[in-house]
Amino acid sequence: MTMFGTNQLLVDKHVEFIQNLDKKQDGLEYWMTEHLRVSGIYWGLVALFLLDRPQALDHEQIIAYVRGCQNADGGFGGHTNHDSHLLYTMSSVQILSMLNALDQIDGKKVTKYVLSLQQTNKQTNGQTTVCGDVWGEHDTRFAFIAMAVLSFFNTQDQLDTNGIVEYIRGAMNYDGGFGSKPGGESHAAQVYTCVAALAVAGRLDVVDRDRLSGWLAERQLLCGGMNGRPQKLEDVCYAWWVGSALDILRRRHWISAEKLVEFVVSAQDENGGIADRPGDVADVYHTCFGIAGLSLVRYPGLNEVDPVYCMPRSVVKRLGLHKWQDKVPKSWSQ
Amino acid sequence: MRIEGSEQVEEAVSLAQQAEWQDITPIEQEEGEGSMCPIAYTDEYRELMGYLRAVMAVGEVSERALALTARVIEENPGHYTVWVYRKRLVEELESDIAEELDWVCDISCKFPKNYQLWHHRESLVTRLWAPSNALLVSEDQRITNPVLRRELQFLDAAIDEDSKNFHAWSYRQWLVSTYALWTQELAFVDTMINQDVRNNSAWNQRYFAILANRNPSVVRLEADVAKSEIEYVVEHIKLAPNNDSPWSYVTGLLLRHAPSMLYTDLLPRIKQLAADNAYQAAMTLTPFYWSALLDIYEQQSADHPDLKKQLIDESSAICDQLASETDIIHCRYWNFRKTSLDTC
Repeated sequence: MTMFGTNQLLVDKHVEFIQNLDKKQDGLEYWMTEHLRVSGIYWGLVALFLLDRPQALDHEQIIAYVRGCQNADGGFGGHTNHDSHLLYTMSSVQILSMLNALDQIDGKKVTKYVLSLQQTNKQTNGQTTVCGDVWGEHDTRFAFIAMAVLSFFNTQDQLDTNGIVEYIRGAMNYDGGFGSKPGGESHAAQVYTCVAALAVAGRLDVVDRDRLSGWLAERQLLCGGMNGRPQKLEDVCYAWWVGSALDILRRRHWISAEKLVEFVVSAQDENGGIADRPGDVADVYHTCFGIAGLSLVRYPGLNEVDPVYCMPRSVVKRLGLHKWQDKVPKSWSQ
Repeated sequence: MRIEGSEQVEEAVSLAQQAEWQDITPIEQEEGEGSMCPIAYTDEYRELMGYLRAVMAVGEVSERALALTARVIEENPGHYTVWVYRKRLVEELESDIAEELDWVCDISCKFPKNYQLWHHRESLVTRLWAPSNALLVSEDQRITNPVLRRELQFLDAAIDEDSKNFHAWSYRQWLVSTYALWTQELAFVDTMINQDVRNNSAWNQRYFAILANRNPSVVRLEADVAKSEIEYVVEHIKLAPNNDSPWSYVTGLLLRHAPSMLYTDLLPRIKQLAADNAYQAAMTLTPFYWSALLDIYEQQSADHPDLKKQLIDESSAICDQLASETDIIHCRYWNFRKTSLDTC
């Protein structure tokens, strides 16, 4: 019996669930989520890699599909013939790197696309924002994605890193957390993106490590699950958003791994997939982040996930991207 | 100009049957041989998307294209590309912005969780009343102006529907910040906090309202403002002592902008509350009271090293209590806090 007792992760069922995703074509949800199909594939693929079943989907087919999502501007859309957006550019790059096909796309074109979304001429307080697409919405998520995507191609020096770091610093709140933009309420998913961005930039010194770690630890509720902000409901995906940030901060041990595992495992659908909480309908997003969350607390049998890139550590190492770890403040050793 | 009535008639008849659309060949979604993601549509949506792809491919700017985007958004408001196209159409057709804002309201009613609509609204409002013009008049004149009054009403409805709607609060911050509506904001925040003292979004907004766009790293809070905030927080702690937000707000606010007041002013007030018969039990049971004491003692011993030993002893006991009784789920965190006390 492992330290997690009889908490069983239904590995085979989840693999089947992911494989069957593109077969549910008569479901309303299927075509309603067409615009984020690429992210759906990324979520399914990461889950499979962490479950150590990477061959469960057809790699060549996925590579061809993802390449088909790249547009003339160098960015990727959520599906074939969809306009480019940073979110889907990130998912595409993550997928191709996991499948060892990153060299099949032109990194210069992707870099150019990402740089076009950086707003260097509209600075206030020395802050540089990054938009998600030509529509102009800006958010700390996009700041992270810009840095992360360019790191895949080793072109992140072309970004105004200092300006972006100032923007992220501006989004840090009185509770130590981070919001979607300066002033915005602290939210665990935004905390992850800001902390991960600072990790890539080698600027984790910006973080109020103790206060933020405390805020993150407090996301764990009595049931073992985590919420995204005070007084909100627990949700399986926060096992990732909270866990990854704590991992980067070298404070993973501040939460109860046993209770978290209990919660995530209880949110499984016996027919496959994981839901946001016990009793709800499973979906690929929660399946991905539930499994990633379990990987972070070293649930047995899962491959280790990198807390910055949300991909297997082995892939991140192969790409040379694990070097963010060398830039974590030395005083932070556990 | 859109003619409402004809749109309703059009819905019943497929586009392929309509004279207006005869010149367009819809572009079917590519689902090649062995496509990994063949997608099934309802027939109606499939047709709408086919025509939309066709007009987008040629960059058509027309009323019929605008009506088409409305229909697609009404089926699938998460489709971000359509919003971008619609924004462009609204601009180039010089559509009535007020009507467009009304239409966005309808979408919001149907899809309260949709977030694209907020950004669309932002671009419409700035076109309707440029901030540079708005800032030439007084704040009173700004809030009574129909443009901003409508936005505030829209926000009221959205926040009423979901008081923690992340995007609504974010939009509100953009509106208040861009149009400098600071004076009314604190009153609004107060209303929201009184409606639900546990609403963390409202407490976050309080900080936003107090800071009023000043750079946090250079703001020192005036003593009377800090005292008044402490009183406000204590009154709201009384309503629900075991509530994260006010504790987090006041310790965060003072730590950043008036650190010594943590122990000169906040400490005596909360100790007084904890000694009050009416609140003693609740205060003892809530981890947030004890956690606040830890934060306060940490600051106090940093400022007054002569008190350090005594404060560390007290803090150590608090950590033990939290880890073993008051907040067991977070025991690992409290055990760490205890070990780090000496290094403060």
